Amino acid sequence: MVLIQLVNGLMEGMTLFLIASGLTLIFGVTRIINFAHGSFYMLGAFLTYELVPLIAPGTLWGFFVAVAVSAAAVSALGVLFETTVLRRIYGKDGILQLIVTVALVLIIRDLVRMTWGANSVSVQMPDALMGALVAGNTYFPLFPIAIFAAGLTVVFAMIWVIYFTRAGILLRAGTDDRGMVALLGVNEKLIFTAVFAAGAFLAGLAGGLSAPYGEVNYLLDTTVIVSAFIVCVIGGLGNLYGALAGALVVGVTKAMGVMYFPRLSMVLIFLIMAAVLIARSMGRQGGPAR
Amino acid sequence: MLEKNKKAVVAVALAALATSAGAQDGPVKVGFAADLTGACAALSEDGLNGAKIAAEEINAVGGILGRQVELIVRDTQTKPDEGAKVARDLITNDRIDVLTGVCSSAVMLAESAVSAELKVPFYAAIGSTQRANIELFQPYFWQVQANATMEAYAAAEYVAKKPEWEKISALGSDYEWGHTSVAAFTERLKELRPDIAFADPIYAKVGETAMAPYITATLAQQPDAVFAPLFGPSLGATLKQGQGFGFFQKTNLVTLMTVDTLQSQGASMPAANVYGIARAPFFALEQSPEVTAFIETYRAAYGEYPTDWAINAYDGLHFYAAVAEKAGTVEAEAIIAALPQVSFDGLREKGLTIRALDGQMNAPVYVGKAAKVEGYDFPILTEVEKFEGAPLMPAEDLILQAREAAR
Repeated sequence: MVLIQLVNGLMEGMTLFLIASGLTLIFGVTRIINFAHGSFYMLGAFLTYELVPLIAPGTLWGFFVAVAVSAAAVSALGVLFETTVLRRIYGKDGILQLIVTVALVLIIRDLVRMTWGANSVSVQMPDALMGALVAGNTYFPLFPIAIFAAGLTVVFAMIWVIYFTRAGILLRAGTDDRGMVALLGVNEKLIFTAVFAAGAFLAGLAGGLSAPYGEVNYLLDTTVIVSAFIVCVIGGLGNLYGALAGALVVGVTKAMGVMYFPRLSMVLIFLIMAAVLIARSMGRQGGPAR
Repeated sequence: MLEKNKKAVVAVALAALATSAGAQDGPVKVGFAADLTGACAALSEDGLNGAKIAAEEINAVGGILGRQVELIVRDTQTKPDEGAKVARDLITNDRIDVLTGVCSSAVMLAESAVSAELKVPFYAAIGSTQRANIELFQPYFWQVQANATMEAYAAAEYVAKKPEWEKISALGSDYEWGHTSVAAFTERLKELRPDIAFADPIYAKVGETAMAPYITATLAQQPDAVFAPLFGPSLGATLKQGQGFGFFQKTNLVTLMTVDTLQSQGASMPAANVYGIARAPFFALEQSPEVTAFIETYRAAYGEYPTDWAINAYDGLHFYAAVAEKAGTVEAEAIIAALPQVSFDGLREKGLTIRALDGQMNAPVYVGKAAKVEGYDFPILTEVEKFEGAPLMPAEDLILQAREAAR
């Protein structure tokens, strides 16, 4: 049972990481706290809901193609938002960022509700991932294990991009010293747009991947953004490894808490968050996305 | 001189009569202060749809006491303070005759307080906290569905009839409704089946969708059945995620399962071992001409089957109309006086009445087994057992005791 609970925690942590990584990536480079990140997640989930029946319902490849297409569409929307609106407020007062991104949250929420209604919808799970691996009386659910594997793939892909490609070098440079990168003749705007596209893609991907496992409705945006912020506070906003560690800590703490201190499981997470903030007064700002 | 004064008095009196007669001629205003956005949006929308059909039907046969019914709809955003504000505005500015529409228990209690203060009748057809009947009861309030305690009692009655279930766990939402439901369920089941063992209840935070850790912790208790006062996203997540843990092979789930939940689950519903508690499942009602006509009207208007919320809101408005006809006026005191005297034939059943002590209707509760059935593209409840409302209503002396204790 402890083992299953540990697995549960890791799996929830991985989903949290997929959400938080985009948020932290965007903050690391653009210094924008994107409240609409949860909305991108929600759109990823709803688009997957629409696409799964159109492509190849029930099949594994159909599901992943639907998720990838949804994430790409969300990413395109993110680029549109970045180039038309966000670009105008870089470096401006924080309150302006808040107003603009929260406005987007409200707009997307109302559009989603107009399109898909207020009731929850269910996304069909691929047949191959239904059910569980059964060992004696112990069940390991297949779907979250597959999501964990997909998440791990994304982690490795991100590490590869950030450390071993020119884009990654520019990204790291942009995080460390934006002015210097611009002086060297690199198109800073392009970096910002690319990072925003990647962040929105990750959010859409997380939304699509998680869709069959929970309920998809128009309130998903706020549910998700709160968890993502908790993860980022623990890990340090702008710090990718921190986000990974924070996400896994939150997931495992919650799972173990439910098992051993059911009354305290939520409090435990906030206690860790408070401890991190006290121990590292830099916590909120975090380190650079190295 | 005296004659002149007399004339003036008569003129004033006549003028006063004329204005009050004017008010009597206008529509009967129903203030629909509903949770149209926020967590309760889906349920409230269904309730509004049901009430709209009821209003049209009442108007088609001449209205209430010859006056047309007008629904004045406002959004409370599922926030108690906003609900109180909207209720106050509807009463003082729109001069409504009756207030309804609410879904969330917290908003319901806030609106009930305004109804008590401004002495305007208020009824609930979705929100169902028993606190509105017991500790926080006020004479202008009634509710037209079984309250949360009655639902938990019905679940206990149902579970008690399963001799093979000897150990019971509870998995609830971590707020008032979850806790009081588990307490009422446990209390009634202990009376009915002293042999049953109860595990420590487990509570998940409201709106939680990552249910896997809770499912695992519940299964670790090795229960024969799990009573789960969960709703919305948490319930849907439990049904989906539980399958990966063999939840529905290892144990049985007894939970709230209204038509909207059944519809949103679709193909994801576990094949067996899910038992649903419902308030007004259209497929399990006695298919009288009234019921089938309502289902058809509703489908024609909104393109879907009516949910429990739609049916109760529909019944609720028709019941109000019946009470007003009995009272001969929509004046608040007369409505309240007429309330317990009306026996109402609703869609759910005949002979529905309100108990004056707590404003509770003897509304039935339905419990059945979720299954896929030919003819519907979503699972429904089968082998449905209907529990009459009256035996589920908390005894009068218990209510008085609880009120005394709360004071």
